[in-house]
Amino acid sequence: MAKNNNLWQEFSKGLFKENPIFYIVLGLCPTLAITTSLENALGMSGAVIFVLTFSNVVISSIRKIVPDKIRIPCFIVVIASFVTITELLMQGYFPILVKHLGIFLPLIVVNCIIMGRAEAFAKNHKVIPSLLDGLGMGVGFSLAIILIAGMREFLGTGKILGRIVFRCFSPSLIFVLPPGALLTLGLLIALFNRIKKR
Amino acid sequence: MKNNLLVSFWPHIQMKDSITKIMWIVFLSLIPAGIAGVYFFGLHSLVLIFVSIVTAVFTEALIQLIRKKKITIYDGSAALTGLLLAYNLPPAVPFWIPIVGSFFAIAIAKQTFGGLGRNIFNPALSARVFLLLSWPTYMTAFVNPFGSADTISSATPLSTLKEGGRTLSDIGLTYMDLFLGRRAGCIGEVAIFLLLLGALVLLILKIITLHTPLSFIFMLAIFSWIFDKHGLFKGDVLFSIMSGGVILGAFFMATDYVTSPLTKKGKIVFGIGCGLITFIIRRFAGYPEGVSFSILIMNAFVPLIDRIFKPSVYGKK
Amino acid sequence: MDVKAILMIIVSMVFINNFILSKFLGLCPFLGVSRNIKPALSMGLAVIFVMTLSSSITWLVYRFLLLPFNITYLRTIVFILVIATFVQFVEMFILKKSPALYRTLGIYLPLITTNCAVLGVAVLNINTFFVNNNPVEFSFIYSMLQGFFAGIGFTLALFLMSGIRERLMLNDTPALFKDLPIAFIIASLMSLGFMGFTGFNF
Repeated sequence: MAKNNNLWQEFSKGLFKENPIFYIVLGLCPTLAITTSLENALGMSGAVIFVLTFSNVVISSIRKIVPDKIRIPCFIVVIASFVTITELLMQGYFPILVKHLGIFLPLIVVNCIIMGRAEAFAKNHKVIPSLLDGLGMGVGFSLAIILIAGMREFLGTGKILGRIVFRCFSPSLIFVLPPGALLTLGLLIALFNRIKKR
Repeated sequence: MKNNLLVSFWPHIQMKDSITKIMWIVFLSLIPAGIAGVYFFGLHSLVLIFVSIVTAVFTEALIQLIRKKKITIYDGSAALTGLLLAYNLPPAVPFWIPIVGSFFAIAIAKQTFGGLGRNIFNPALSARVFLLLSWPTYMTAFVNPFGSADTISSATPLSTLKEGGRTLSDIGLTYMDLFLGRRAGCIGEVAIFLLLLGALVLLILKIITLHTPLSFIFMLAIFSWIFDKHGLFKGDVLFSIMSGGVILGAFFMATDYVTSPLTKKGKIVFGIGCGLITFIIRRFAGYPEGVSFSILIMNAFVPLIDRIFKPSVYGKK
Repeated sequence: MDVKAILMIIVSMVFINNFILSKFLGLCPFLGVSRNIKPALSMGLAVIFVMTLSSSITWLVYRFLLLPFNITYLRTIVFILVIATFVQFVEMFILKKSPALYRTLGIYLPLITTNCAVLGVAVLNINTFFVNNNPVEFSFIYSMLQGFFAGIGFTLALFLMSGIRERLMLNDTPALFKDLPIAFIIASLMSLGFMGFTGFNF
């Protein structure tokens, strides 16, 4: 029972308590740029969960073979391979989405969350906890960017997933522009800090 | 015992009510230009000015109440922000535009930094640019003086120029029209004559200095003259100064105590930067007017400018 | 060489598509090292240097290695390895040649490897200056310039931000907004100003 609890904790900590975006503020680079629409955010979420989970698993399973000195290049190669696999898969199945995500899809490689989890968790934990950690962090990341993207799409275009929600709402275009992204994230971080304090 | 050792942020103004006095004098000096705006564009402008000020003051009070701070709405700074924001709005915008704008100005651009004296960016201008980017169709629809509010989408002199107009007579205006304010534009920016009068009062009372406005206007004028669209040294200097929001911006917003440099040299550098950026945006970028953007960008440079041109320490040379 | 194209690259990279304020690349170091002016400037210099050179190296690798062997799908892996190796070499070189410079730039160099801006500009170069896998005219020089000015834009934003945050330290920013939230709001207002250059054209 205690063991299950532990595993559940590995998964759930990423959702809220250690949410990579709102609390640790990692992996922002691809976060903000693609959160102009909910659809993009969903696509990015899928890609990040996939890469984060599998790279965590692989890194944790090779953790005893890799010499400490060259571990970072090795980790990067592992991560980059999964990113490439994702890129190729998505190009095959969702070519339009790939166009929308643009350079931010290959840039998952340098997303600090993935390297961060490899360094902070996967390199000294067993495979199963690492898998759950990756999954949890990935889902936490996804929830955060879906929240941001939903707010930005709604405020900026009056739509959610491309459908108009309120007719009598004059959308504030700025929220789909860069300043709106920074503002939304700034206010959300402040809000979450507030919630966490309670 | 009264605690006199108040550690406060600059400007370190000694008397407590002097900041209040200054704010209200600036407020009053802007009133004539507003009356002219209402005279030209109708009562809707008055509603906008009123709504903008009330929202700004209300937001300030609300946030200070939430933060359990002393309510300082009588110092006039929130009212001044509301007034300046309304002056930067086209006269035909719906009434909720100044509500959103004033709320943004006070809640985001001022109070997140901790209130008066701490904000880095000019609240009224931040809000103006926020509105311009959010609702471009409303924020670029102007009316002609004495035209009914239905005849919107009349172009300002600057936007006509941007779309290929060559001279003042193409637009059907004279310099006198520009000077008195008989042209399409934002509510408070058109009445150049009355704005200058207000600025003169502030200069005489030593509330503002000429460093920033002069270097701002000089820089803009000289670049507009040299690098005109139709060839070198063919620009219309008077037109470039009187056609947009430069007078309002240079004398009343680039001189804001909180968001502009402390020293004379710093003020001059600040003005030069504003003038140059205004020129670049007017001449090359997509927007017809660049005054708000330029002051906002230069606001970001102020801490660095102050660092370079430190006020000299007393006793040192 | 087209002066107009070069000017467009400059304005685009420094203002309109500023890597931090508009593309959000390199936000992590931007938030991390913008608390004080001095480290911000050192970091900026290091980034300009690395971005310019890694732009040229990745261009060469793409043009003469990935394209001929038809393995462009390995772009991401190869680029990140090239950048990591390059940064490592720069670090060793600087340590050997100028310990003084190393003390100022040294600790920032490893950080740069995982700076998305560096990989970002490399990928962006390939996307903009290769049409159907053929380099456009002056493609190499444009890539290098794009790298250089993207670095300048990064440094400008970092420099301004550090100045503002240094001033804010003397301030009692509301606890709710202290540090990160206020940094984002400042960045948002800065980006608001920079939006004025939209539609820039000669």
